[in-house]
Amino acid sequence: MVSVNELQSMYENMVTARHYEERLQEEYLEGKQPAFDISAGPIPGELHLAAGHEASGAGVCQHLRDDDTVTAPHRPHHIAIAKGVDLKRMTAEIFGRETGLSKGKGGHMHLFDPEVNFACSGIIAEGCPPAVGAGLAAKKRNTDSVAVAFLGEGAIDQGAFLESLNMASVQNLPVVFVVEDNDWAISMPKHRITDVANGARRADGFDMPGERVDADDAVAVYEAARAAVGRARDRNGPSLLEVQVHRRMGHFMGDPEGYRPDEDKAAAERRDSIERLEADLRGHDVDDETIDDLRDRAHERVEEAIEWAKDQPEPEPADAYEDVFVNPASGVTDSEPSVAETGGDD
Amino acid sequence: MSSDDDRVAVDTDDVWPEDTDEDEGVVVNWFLREGSRVDAGDDLCEFQVEKVSVDVPAPTSGTLEEIVLDEDDEFERGNVLAWIRPD
Amino acid sequence: MAQQEREPASDGRTDRSLTMSRAMVEAIAHEMREDDDVFYMGEDVADYGGIFDSTDGLLEEFGYERIMDVPISETAYIGAAVGAAQAGMRPIAELMFVDFFGVGMDQIYNQMAKNTYMSGGSVSVPMVLTAAVGGTYNDAAQHSQTLYGTFAHLPGMKVVVPSTAYDAKGLMHNAIRDDDPVVYLFHKRLMGIGWMPAPDGPKTGVPEDEYTIPFGSADVKREGADVTVVTLGLHVHRALEAAESLADDGIDVEVIDLRTLVPLDTETIADSVAKTGRLVVVDEDYRSFGVTGEIVASVVEAEGGLADLEAVERVAVPDVPIPYARPMENEVIPDADDVENAIRDVHASE
Ligand SMILES: Cc1ncc(C[n+]2csc(CCOP(=O)(O)OP(=O)(O)O)c2C)c(N)n1
Repeated sequence: MVSVNELQSMYENMVTARHYEERLQEEYLEGKQPAFDISAGPIPGELHLAAGHEASGAGVCQHLRDDDTVTAPHRPHHIAIAKGVDLKRMTAEIFGRETGLSKGKGGHMHLFDPEVNFACSGIIAEGCPPAVGAGLAAKKRNTDSVAVAFLGEGAIDQGAFLESLNMASVQNLPVVFVVEDNDWAISMPKHRITDVANGARRADGFDMPGERVDADDAVAVYEAARAAVGRARDRNGPSLLEVQVHRRMGHFMGDPEGYRPDEDKAAAERRDSIERLEADLRGHDVDDETIDDLRDRAHERVEEAIEWAKDQPEPEPADAYEDVFVNPASGVTDSEPSVAETGGDD
Repeated sequence: MSSDDDRVAVDTDDVWPEDTDEDEGVVVNWFLREGSRVDAGDDLCEFQVEKVSVDVPAPTSGTLEEIVLDEDDEFERGNVLAWIRPD
Repeated sequence: MAQQEREPASDGRTDRSLTMSRAMVEAIAHEMREDDDVFYMGEDVADYGGIFDSTDGLLEEFGYERIMDVPISETAYIGAAVGAAQAGMRPIAELMFVDFFGVGMDQIYNQMAKNTYMSGGSVSVPMVLTAAVGGTYNDAAQHSQTLYGTFAHLPGMKVVVPSTAYDAKGLMHNAIRDDDPVVYLFHKRLMGIGWMPAPDGPKTGVPEDEYTIPFGSADVKREGADVTVVTLGLHVHRALEAAESLADDGIDVEVIDLRTLVPLDTETIADSVAKTGRLVVVDEDYRSFGVTGEIVASVVEAEGGLADLEAVERVAVPDVPIPYARPMENEVIPDADDVENAIRDVHASE
C-alpha cells in the first residue's frame, strides 16, 4: 500500500509539473503575440509541454533513487521534476542562460543532469538504447540501480525501441520502458499508425511482462511501477509499462491543433489525475490546509526557479566553441586556429 | 477619380478561424501586387492568428486597386486589408 | 526530358508571387495529377499538411491513400519508398527534419543511393527524399543542421537545395521526373511560413504552368566583377544582402546560387572566378570536410583555376554542433555581416 507521505510527494511533484508547464507557456508566448514568431521571446525554438502527463513521471519516479538512470523524450519536464533534476538550472537552460544545466547549449529537449542521472533527447525513441546501456553498466558493476526509458506511444514503432526491448530481455537487464500514451503523435492519431491499441502487448514478443494502466489514477501508476522497478532492482529483468495519459495542450506551443476534434481535447481536460489524487489524499485524511500548503509550496518553487532563471546572464558568443570535447587538447578545437573566425561576429 | 463607392473591400470576417478568442491578426504574405487582375476566389494574401495561417480569397473579380495593410502589419478582425475595383 | 530546361508553356500569370512552400506544393500537385504513381509519405503530412507546410492542401485533393501519414519508423517508410520506386512507382518520402536521417540512413545510403550502381544499372530508384534543413530559430543541436554535404559526399544521390519559390517549383518538377534518387532539401526559414518569417527574396513570381530547371545549372543571382560568392539555400539571401551593402562601397559582388550540389555546376563557378579572381564560399553546413572545401577544390582543379585564384575565404558553421541559446547560435551560423567581412578580406588582399 502506498503511504500518505508518498501520496503527498507525488502530489507535490505533479502540481509542480503542471504549474511549471502553465507558467512556461506564458513565458514562451511573450513576444510571440499577435504574430507567432518561433524565434522571438525569452524562450525561442520548439517547446513541448507535458500538461496531462504528470502522473506517469511522478508515479514511476517515486520508486527511483538518484543513482537510477532516467532517459526522457522531447516532452521531458514532468519526468525531470519527478526525478529531482535541479529545477533552477533546468529552467535557466530552457531560457538559454549561462548557468543552465548545459550552459545554454542544450535547450528544453536536451536536458542533462548527471547528479540524478537524467537525460533527454529530441530524436524519437533514442533514449531507449542508452537506458539499456545504463542497465548493462549496473549489471556489470553488480549494483542494484535500475534504468527507466520514457517515450511516447508514437515512438514504439521505432526500431530503437524494439531493438532495445530485445536486448534488455536477452541480457536480463534492469530496465523499465515506460510508454506515455497520449493518443496523438503530433497530428497522427494512434489508430493511423498502429493496429495494436494496447502498446503493452509488444512486451509479449520479447518475453517480458507488459502492463497498461490509466494515469487518471496516479496510485495505479505508482503500483504498476513498483512492480516493474522492483523486478528490475531484484535482477529479474526488464518490463514494459504503458500509461494512458492525456495531452492537455498542443503538441508544441503554437500548435493550432486543427486536426484534433474539439471533443477529444475537452475530454483530455476533463480527466485530471491531479484532481483525482487530491481526492485520494482527502480519503487518507489529509486536510485542506495541508493540501493547500503542498500546492503553494509547489507554486512558489516554480516561481522562484523562473525568476532566478530570468536573472541569469546569457552565455557569451564564444562559449559556442567550448565543450565539443572534454579533452580538446587532443582534438580539433585547439589545432584549428581559424575556427573562431569562420562564422563569428568577432 | 471615380468614387470609392464602387470598390469592394477585402476583409477577414468570412475566413477568421472559428476556434480562437484572438481578435488581432498579422498579414504575413501578399501574393499579388497593386494593379494585378484578380478572379473571384483567387488567393490574395495570407494572415496569421495565433499560429494559424489563413488565406484570403478575392471577394470579386476585378483589379487589386489598393493594398491597405502590408506584410507584417497587425490588424483587428474586420479591418479592411485591400480594395478591389470590380470589372 | 528531365535534364532539359523547360520554359513554362505560356507566360502564365506573371504578377503572381508565391512562397517557397506553395511553389513546391504546386509542383507536387501537378505531378500527382499527371501520374498516378506519384505519392507522398511522411509524418504529419496529411491533416497537418507538413510541419513546414511542405504538403499543405494536398490531402484535400488526393486523399489519405496518396498523402500518407506513416508510423514514426523512418527506416521502414524510407526503405519502403526505395522498394516502391524499384517496383516502378515514383514515391516522395519526407524526413521531417534532416537531422533525423540517422534513423533511416542505412536505407538512404546503402539502398536508395547504391542500388542502381550495385545492379550495374539494371535497377533504378526514381524517388524523392524531401527534408527540412537549417537553423536560425534556436531549435538546438538535433533540429538545426543542414547536412547536405553528407548526402553529396555519398555517391548515388542527386542533391537539390532551392533558395527561391521559382527555383523550388522547377526543381521539384525535375526531381519527381528524374529516374534517379533525388534528395530535395528545403530550408525552413525560406518556406514563407507565418510563424517563421522568411527574409525578403525567397517569395518570387511563379508561373502557374509547369516548368523544369535542370540539375547542375547554378544560377547567377547577382552579377558582379570584383568578388565571386558561391552559396546555396538561405545563405543566397544573406550573400545578396551583403552584396547590396558592399555595392555602396564600390565592391561589385557576384552571387552564385548552386541550386544543386549533385550534379555540381563547376563551369559557372570557374567562369566567374576567372572573371573576379576572388572567391568566397558560404555555407550553413559544417566547415570541415564539406561543401566549402569541395567548391574551393573544384576551382583549383579546373583548368587555369589555380592561376585565376587570387584570394579565397570560407564562411561556414565552425565544427561544433548547433548550440541552443541565441548568442551562441548567432555566433556559429554565418550572417550577412560575416559574409560581408569575408568579401572585404578577399577584396583587400593583394
Ligand atoms: C526520429 C524522429 N522522427 C520524427 C521526429 C519528429 N517528432 C517529434 S515528436 C513526434 C511525435 C511523437 O509522438 P509520441 O512519441 O507519441 O510523443 P508525444 O509527442 O505525443 O508525447 C515526432 C514525429 C523526431 N523527433 N524524431
